[in-house]
Amino acid sequence: MEKVIKVKNLIKKYDKLIAVNNISFDVFKGEIFGLLGENGAGKTTTLEMIEGLRRPTAGKIEVLGCDIIEHRDAVKERIGVQLQSSAYYQFLTLTEILDLFGSFYSKQLSADKLLSMVDLKDKSNSFIGSLSGGQRQRFSIVASLVNDPEVVFLDEPTTGLDPLARRNLWDLITEIKNQGKTVILTTHYMEEAEILCDRVAIMNNGKILVMGDTHKLIDQAKYPYTVSFIKEGMPKSQIQKLEKLSLVENLFGKNNHFIVRIAKKENSNSVKKIIESLNPETVTQGRASLEDLFIELTGSKIEE
Amino acid sequence: MWKLFTADLKMLSRNRQSLFWVLFFPLMFTFIFGLFFGRNTNVGTIAVINKSDTQIAAGLPDVLEKSDVFKIQKEDDLNVAKDEIKRSKISAAIYIPEGFGNPSPASPKQIEIIYDPGSQVYSSLSGVVGQYLTSVNYQIQNSKPIFTSTLKPVTDRKLTYFDFVLAGVLGLAIMNSSIIGIGVNLSKYREDKILKRITTTPVKSWKFIMAEVLSRLVINLIQISIILLVGKFLFDAHIYGSILIIILVALVGAFLFQSVGFIVASFSRTADAAQGMAQAIAIPMMFLAGVFFPIDSLPKWLYLIVQYLPLAPILRIIRGVMLEGLSPFFEPKNVIIVLFWIVLTLAVSIWKFRLSDE
Repeated sequence: MEKVIKVKNLIKKYDKLIAVNNISFDVFKGEIFGLLGENGAGKTTTLEMIEGLRRPTAGKIEVLGCDIIEHRDAVKERIGVQLQSSAYYQFLTLTEILDLFGSFYSKQLSADKLLSMVDLKDKSNSFIGSLSGGQRQRFSIVASLVNDPEVVFLDEPTTGLDPLARRNLWDLITEIKNQGKTVILTTHYMEEAEILCDRVAIMNNGKILVMGDTHKLIDQAKYPYTVSFIKEGMPKSQIQKLEKLSLVENLFGKNNHFIVRIAKKENSNSVKKIIESLNPETVTQGRASLEDLFIELTGSKIEE
Repeated sequence: MWKLFTADLKMLSRNRQSLFWVLFFPLMFTFIFGLFFGRNTNVGTIAVINKSDTQIAAGLPDVLEKSDVFKIQKEDDLNVAKDEIKRSKISAAIYIPEGFGNPSPASPKQIEIIYDPGSQVYSSLSGVVGQYLTSVNYQIQNSKPIFTSTLKPVTDRKLTYFDFVLAGVLGLAIMNSSIIGIGVNLSKYREDKILKRITTTPVKSWKFIMAEVLSRLVINLIQISIILLVGKFLFDAHIYGSILIIILVALVGAFLFQSVGFIVASFSRTADAAQGMAQAIAIPMMFLAGVFFPIDSLPKWLYLIVQYLPLAPILRIIRGVMLEGLSPFFEPKNVIIVLFWIVLTLAVSIWKFRLSDE
């Protein structure tokens, strides 16, 4: 597979703080690659070094075959960037903003076409201030496509949006991928990464903890299988009894909702039978999530 | 760059807050000073209570009216006039008693000038009244004064305080719109990450900055023209020099203050901080650089300092051209100070101002 981004031994230091600590990874053409991690993990700094906005302290970055330090402007012609929580000109209409940003590139898509792509054509003569949060974010993403880029960088594209708006953006990002573009996104929503990303790298304290195909990574979790159940008024003694069973390796629960995490697939059915004997309201067998893997790796739960 | 330039012009014309600082704020000063000191203005209203029917008594209101300095209001009752002075409705009153001007020895020989000590009008009023009475005295005695003096203005040109202030308002307008406009606007762009967003594109920083500078100079051109037009045609301002040169000097000044604006934007992280910093620079300069008053009336030690403030030499040049029809180079020191500030502020802004965060 063709590598569109090659990052090798990348380091970024701010005085004594090491924001990015010797990371290496590649991004392949046409995939959605996710950089995941908590706030301050080094995702945005990494992304901005690849975009040519920050100079690395050490290491090498190649984007579309060009060294980002030596050929920054040439690379900028071929990439699209959506910054984290960036605003646009307050007193220009959406069409005027897209026309203006398009004029910075040698190749330019029409504002009408771009606005249609995100259902904002009827807002073409509106100012950005009149848009809802979801519409603004859709506009922000589509503004990163003005030059019909080969690689699109999306930094926390769904942060602060309601669930419906977030799902709309997932559709948009998938559509961008379907157009043959490579997408690199950062997020701290594990569910989002699991649904959107072909491959992910989980970062913590400037380092990549694990990287690979999203679903194969989940299999690498210590407890990749789960049995979850709901039981009203489960007595403490019953919970303790369940915890003592050798098949139940990791019980996690609160109130009426419990999850048993299981290391081996063959144990999943046996655990289910044990749970069913407790007469729960529901029992579901499932797989661990990216969030489970993340918690396992970092020992923390992502804070929104 | 053309797109950036036209986009900047559109944004400036649509931004009401910016329009206030650029147009309405200086126009407000032009109107206020124009109404006080421009066309058909006088130093105050004088009530005349004339109880005498002599020719001498009747001549005084005529002389006052013809002086073009006072507005005359005829009154019957001295107490009503006094009340109006107390309530600041008029500046002074002249009481001419019954029989004044009559040659009989028993008739009154004095008129009264009643004035508000807080008003400056009495000195000019007593001068005009005194001059009239002296001429009447000489006429009656059929003699002529031996020693006299004549007033000779240094220039034949008619100049008013409004002319002085209009040049000051021009300087104030370009200073405020440039320092506050550039400083606050770019800091807001930085705060909103618009500058950062620009750096993600291949557009060169100098093109972005040039578009910002040129679009604001166009707005300055409109601003200067409107102020001059309002001053000239609504309030009869006297402009003796070339309007083109006045505009050019003002635009050079605007460029200087834009550089100051870039420095403000370089050192402030937020638009609020930039607003504070810009005002901390502009407000003292507004009062100390000679916008409203000649700075040579300041204490000498202070004058020695403030004459070098960036706005002071610009105002001296504008006034030299506008009020005396001189060349902008009439006093090379002014040009040297302006050039010094341009080089200094430009160097600091080139050194410090960045679109990107690092």
